[in-house]
Amino acid sequence: MENSQQREFDNPQRDAGHQPDPSYWMSVTTAGLIFGIIAFVLSLITSYAVINSEPTGSLFSPSQFIGIFACLVGAFGGMLATWHYAREYEDIPIKLGKGALIGFLTGVCITIVSVVLSQVWQFVDPDMTQKMIDSTIANLEAMDMPDAQKQQMIDATVEGLRSNDSIGMQLLWGLPINGILNLITGMIGAKIFGKQEG
Amino acid sequence: MQTHHLTLYLLVLVLIVGMVIIALGGGLFGQQQFWLLQWQHQALAHLCHQAADRSFWIGGQPMAVCSRCLGVYSGFAFGWMLLPLAGFWKAYFYRSWLLKKILFATAVINLIDIIGNFAAFWENTLTSRLVLGGLLGIAAAVLFSGVFFNRKKESTGDHYGKLTTTGI
Repeated sequence: MENSQQREFDNPQRDAGHQPDPSYWMSVTTAGLIFGIIAFVLSLITSYAVINSEPTGSLFSPSQFIGIFACLVGAFGGMLATWHYAREYEDIPIKLGKGALIGFLTGVCITIVSVVLSQVWQFVDPDMTQKMIDSTIANLEAMDMPDAQKQQMIDATVEGLRSNDSIGMQLLWGLPINGILNLITGMIGAKIFGKQEG
Repeated sequence: MQTHHLTLYLLVLVLIVGMVIIALGGGLFGQQQFWLLQWQHQALAHLCHQAADRSFWIGGQPMAVCSRCLGVYSGFAFGWMLLPLAGFWKAYFYRSWLLKKILFATAVINLIDIIGNFAAFWENTLTSRLVLGGLLGIAAAVLFSGVFFNRKKESTGDHYGKLTTTGI
């Protein structure tokens, strides 16, 4: 039984000699912008949910549930970009390598957009990080654990929240991690939506 | 066995194995720093809620991702490592649309499990989340079976003497 995967493998260069493929930057920037904004908005909702929540002493709060969807959304930008590219240029096959590249660049774009928006939000609400820290400390203080351990946890959490808020840290971890995950989802997108892979 | 885009395969293999190692957290390496400040937790902070009570523990410290995320990463890595075997045994005869449906189904099952647990219809466990996440990861990797590795054989039919995947 011959199927598409076997045909792809037998004829990986069948589109060789054709004119250069159209640019993928429109798809990358569109998906990067959309998912960057979505990731930023969801993280904003999570932050304000933490700020406005009553201290429960629980390690898992409803706001973290929003975080689950935020990370899933951020990881699927590459898939949207390849879908957009496939829709825009229906006659152009998407090779796996190109899907991976589109996905990686989309991950980079998502990180840059969400970091820029986070910094812009600092002008809108300069006290947000401090409110987050105060709310988190109140929640940790409500936990049932030895005081020494509680204090260590509070110190670490405050330090972590402050360092995560810097542009450098957000880019240092955001670019490679978002890039890798979206590279993979970009490949998956090329496989699902592309006319031909390989 | 013929290979195709081997560089891309190896690149993704290195990246996903690296992700799994990072996801295992500092406990694997016996890091003494408080786990919230370890670089593994910082790196994956925006990808996972990292709730300690929803993560596996290793070396007395929670892993850097929750059990479901660990399942997705490790499942994808496991499935990716199986691709050469799938190519060797020609286990890529399944139609592409079936593999896509399986991937979609596992994603939906995970979503239902998240919502059902949050709405208190049922209570999932570390293991159940690991397994469901793992199925999603494997389904994503299996989508690429027959793409990077394929066992061709000499045709005895229309393309007599040439190497094809079907031998026809």
